[in-house]
Amino acid sequence: MSRAETLRALDSLLEQFLDRAVMLKEDRLRVLDGINRLDDIARGSHATDLTEEMGGWFAQHSNWLQSPALRPADQDRIKNLLASIKRELEMSPEVSPAQVKITREIDRWASGKPTGEPAIHEKLVLTRGPEIAEKQTEDTIALYDSTLERLQAIYKDLAANKAHLLTILDDALISARYQQSRDALLLSASIIYYLKLNRYKVEPYVKRLKEAEALFSGGSHA
Amino acid sequence: MLNPAEKAYLHALQLLKRKDYRRAVEYFDQAAPFFSENKEFSLLRETTTLLVAVREELAELGADKNDERIEIEEYF
Repeated sequence: MSRAETLRALDSLLEQFLDRAVMLKEDRLRVLDGINRLDDIARGSHATDLTEEMGGWFAQHSNWLQSPALRPADQDRIKNLLASIKRELEMSPEVSPAQVKITREIDRWASGKPTGEPAIHEKLVLTRGPEIAEKQTEDTIALYDSTLERLQAIYKDLAANKAHLLTILDDALISARYQQSRDALLLSASIIYYLKLNRYKVEPYVKRLKEAEALFSGGSHA
Repeated sequence: MLNPAEKAYLHALQLLKRKDYRRAVEYFDQAAPFFSENKEFSLLRETTTLLVAVREELAELGADKNDERIEIEEYF
């Protein structure tokens, strides 16, 4: 095995390990992300209305009170952050209906009561409709946005110290084939199409792309 | 409130999910003083650092082959 092959094997092994480690921490990551967002709101790093941001946060995490994913330390942190946000709301000279609802919701979280109480029901009726409608549109956009970010990160990694796009394509195709990486496959396809539009001869690369795709999908149409 | 190191660790994990390993290392480094005793943190940090180093090494090897690649380009 050549040095490059050894390094590629190690690359693949390390990436797989990290993928699995992150996958195992997926639920925990979601909880920490939610707490971090609440922390940002509490710190006042919000550009929009506080009640609006809190309404969005409650709508997104309404199931947390019944979820076993939250550790006691997480619950304490959330309660402390909510108490801080409540204090900020109470400093406002004018109290809007939205503020009253948010304050009531904060009190419910502080008491740890699960969903199903009248106050919660009232809250959900007011906020859930438009949020669900928007979410369906945003999900595909957010997913594609995230894919583009990953592709760009892979591209930057592969592009380091390279002199030509063909070399990057070659490495992307190797990654797509041997690591069966969906992102590397997408990146390869994108580069091939770009080169094709610029009148490069891309047939050998298209062939390799199809082979990698067949391996990825488990098919035999290469 | 979350301290800056906790936020940095969270960012590092989010970047791992997006496979942006180079930037993940930067955030791991920021979080390192606070999590020095955390074995899971150390394992993820060292693995990511190693992966970035392997990729840099591969990139250098790839750079050695650039002359051949230019010939391919000229052929097309």
